[in-house]
Amino acid sequence: MKIIIAGAGEVGVHLAKLLSSEGQDVIIVDPEESKLQALDSNYNLMTMTGRTTAFKTLNEANVSRADLFIAVTPFETRNIVSCSMAKNLGARKTVARIDNYEFLKPEYKPYFKSIGVDDLIYPEYFASTEIVSAMRHSWARNWFELYNGELLLTGVKLRENAKIVNIKLKDLAQSGHPFHVSAIRRRHETIIPRGNDHLEVGDIVYFTTQKGNIGKIIDACGKRPVNIKKILIMGGSRIAVRLVDMLDDSYDIKIIETDKEKCLKLVSQLPSNCSVVNGDARDFELLKEEGLANYDTFIALTDSSETNILACLTAKESGVLKTIAEVENIQFIAAAENLNIGTVINKKLLASSKIFQILLDFDSSNAKCLALTDAEVAELVVKEGSKITKATVKDLKLSQDMTIGGLIRDGKGMLVDGHTQIMAGDHVLVFCLSGAIHKIEKMFN
Amino acid sequence: MIFPHKGNINFNVIFRILGLLLQIEAGFMLIPLAVCYIYSEYAESVSFLISIAITAGCGLLLMLLTKSRDNDMGKREGILLTALTWVLFSLFGMLPFIFGSADLDVASAYFETMSGFTTTGVSAIASVEDVAHGTLMWRAITHFVGGMGIILFTLAVIPMLNKKSGIQLFNAEVTGITHDKVRPRISHTAKSLWAIYFLLNSVLIVLLWIGPMNLFDSVCHAFSAIATGGFSTKNNSIEAYNSDYVKIVLSVFMFLSGANFGLLYYVVIGKPKSLFKNDTFRWYTYIVIGAVVIIAVRLWLTGRYPDVESLIVDTVFQVVTTITTTGFVGSDYLQWQGLAIMVILAIMIVGSCAGSTAGGFKIDRLVVFVRNFKNELYKIIHPNTVKAVRVNGKVLQPELVSKTNTFLLVYALLIFVGTAILTETGASFFDSLFMAISTLSNIGLGYGVSGSSFAGISDVGKWTMSVLMLLGRLELFTVLIIFTKHFWNKK
Repeated sequence: MKIIIAGAGEVGVHLAKLLSSEGQDVIIVDPEESKLQALDSNYNLMTMTGRTTAFKTLNEANVSRADLFIAVTPFETRNIVSCSMAKNLGARKTVARIDNYEFLKPEYKPYFKSIGVDDLIYPEYFASTEIVSAMRHSWARNWFELYNGELLLTGVKLRENAKIVNIKLKDLAQSGHPFHVSAIRRRHETIIPRGNDHLEVGDIVYFTTQKGNIGKIIDACGKRPVNIKKILIMGGSRIAVRLVDMLDDSYDIKIIETDKEKCLKLVSQLPSNCSVVNGDARDFELLKEEGLANYDTFIALTDSSETNILACLTAKESGVLKTIAEVENIQFIAAAENLNIGTVINKKLLASSKIFQILLDFDSSNAKCLALTDAEVAELVVKEGSKITKATVKDLKLSQDMTIGGLIRDGKGMLVDGHTQIMAGDHVLVFCLSGAIHKIEKMFN
Repeated sequence: MIFPHKGNINFNVIFRILGLLLQIEAGFMLIPLAVCYIYSEYAESVSFLISIAITAGCGLLLMLLTKSRDNDMGKREGILLTALTWVLFSLFGMLPFIFGSADLDVASAYFETMSGFTTTGVSAIASVEDVAHGTLMWRAITHFVGGMGIILFTLAVIPMLNKKSGIQLFNAEVTGITHDKVRPRISHTAKSLWAIYFLLNSVLIVLLWIGPMNLFDSVCHAFSAIATGGFSTKNNSIEAYNSDYVKIVLSVFMFLSGANFGLLYYVVIGKPKSLFKNDTFRWYTYIVIGAVVIIAVRLWLTGRYPDVESLIVDTVFQVVTTITTTGFVGSDYLQWQGLAIMVILAIMIVGSCAGSTAGGFKIDRLVVFVRNFKNELYKIIHPNTVKAVRVNGKVLQPELVSKTNTFLLVYALLIFVGTAILTETGASFFDSLFMAISTLSNIGLGYGVSGSSFAGISDVGKWTMSVLMLLGRLELFTVLIIFTKHFWNKK
């Protein structure tokens, strides 16, 4: 598939690397050559210098033949304009990164369609939705729902008190546990487990399960759900504002921000259930004064990943149950996960989830997708006559870097084992390591 | 695990790919083998059978000794693999010359093969007309494979390299200051460039065949001309045909092969304008015209060339074959004196456009050098001016300008070192200088002592020139960096 990415910022570069390793034809365009040089000489893609809102540049990049045009510069209006231009020149699908919640409302969708913008990505919005979901399921690291929650994928970190540690997975399956272990994240790598693997303390385990069985996972992992009502946020970033907007007034929210001017602005922007404190949240005395120990959750959303990680560690030590940190450096995510940080938020990964979803949408409608640091989870609809329906799962000879967790048939979620025969029309949940998603597409089409 | 991946460099993947490449080389040897049977040269076919067995066997061994996983490849691996590929290809490619009717010693055979793959075209065979057709075909094949690049060929055919690691190889082999891709995926870029290359070869074969050449000679000369190599099947090279038609057709195609293949690709897909907008291509054209005028006038003034028409044809042919670093002989340039031979020497050093099959230090670098030089002069009077070097309307980063200047200096240094060693082997100063430039720039013309053939040069001279050819083809840095400490040390 031919993909053009306009804007070589953090999100653009991440997408370019990712899509190129997935085997797509990627051209990335940016006005600043210095941003492109390293990409050009190290990755299997093409770079082009030029303004993203110039017909000349777009024509040079051969936009008319592009399947997907992604505009991810930091400037919302530029993104929309370049998408509109690209569509006009013949791009099949366009996606613009935006920074305005209003644009996402369904009533404006036809308008954006009419000017040539097919889809919108709003990383800050994804981030705040992710935080809300993380607070609702405070014991889990990741939470991914399919088909109104009929099928769930959840990532849980195992501690000493988990009951399923050191048991081989095949024994676990025989003892009749109602879940499927789809993947294990151990230290710096993600493993697609086989029957002889076992779970260790410190692993983040990705379970697939049906709607009613969540309680059993919580129990097996030795967790207990907490009802979160009191939230302390560090850093009044755009995500923080979005988040507060999303939560109703039953929550008690406090934002700590270092910049005085910004604080004043926040006060005028935010509802009354939210208080704003001017100060540095890295200052432990200040946190104590603000009653850190009384809060259920601590969310660190400053621009600095390091600050966020350290602040979360401090909060955890003083007894806060759930910590959430925004970590923008992808290399830090694994480290942050190994330290006791509850949930890690990364805008780039969230944006790429959306892009993967759009890519999969080209062939199978309403796919859902979740991008993790080095793996992807996708919901795919099985087509008539596709390869995957030819045999039972154990006879399919699936490659080592993917696994099928569960499927939804006639609106009912079910788990998959070796004897399951997948049929056309099923919604299948696939877990695969990075770079393998195109292999999966072949199986399903 | 035979090649553990403990150190700084992943030898496992390097040896595995080398194994694969040797199989490909063995595959290419099947073509001359077939030619042997066609011409009933059974004795020669044995030498090819042995060579194929050794090459394929070693390749297979390398592949069996390595693991198929662990294919991680970074910059270091890319550079090392590219350099080793060229060295090993020549090492195994020389086998037919040792076993076959050419009957060369190791130094000469290696020299001959390196000259073939780097498309230099100097020959250590005293009389090519006495050599079997199979061997002549193998010489032409080495040009064909080396012309567009061994690695580039591999990138086009092996899907295993169509990822990040492929880019490292591409950068290490393709010539020029920057390495422009014509399509987003590296394998597509490689395929497109090979398609153009293939197209040029096919058309030229047909055109030559229509003329006075037989099919065998047209194939050999087409491979040689498009790869800008210079091997011929005749001792007198192109002079043997004594045909203006051949010279004109070859001149046109050699000229095209000296242009950036990326640009030719744009012409083929229907954007011919990009050719004339390109600074380098314009300079290339002007330099050819300028050189032709100077030499033609200089020769005409001597009064020894009364026939203006053949003077022009010969001069054009000789200038084009030299600047594109092909190195056919189509005139009596060995008799040329003074300015005429100096102009030939100058265009030998410069060569043609980057991204072509030609050698030399490339006109792209000349453009950058001249424009930067102009800026420097301007800055002496106006010290506060901020000036940038523009090529094709785009500003070149100062780092690249500095890299270009360094390249030119090292190039000059290598010519000096090469000349120094060659004078020690007994050749005169000018002959040594000519040989050093001829091999470093991958041309293949000789002068004086090497005028008719390089067969008489000593072994030391041949090894020196083999190294110069490799350095020139891989544009110095890819080879030289391997001899630095920080290449092996990750500290």
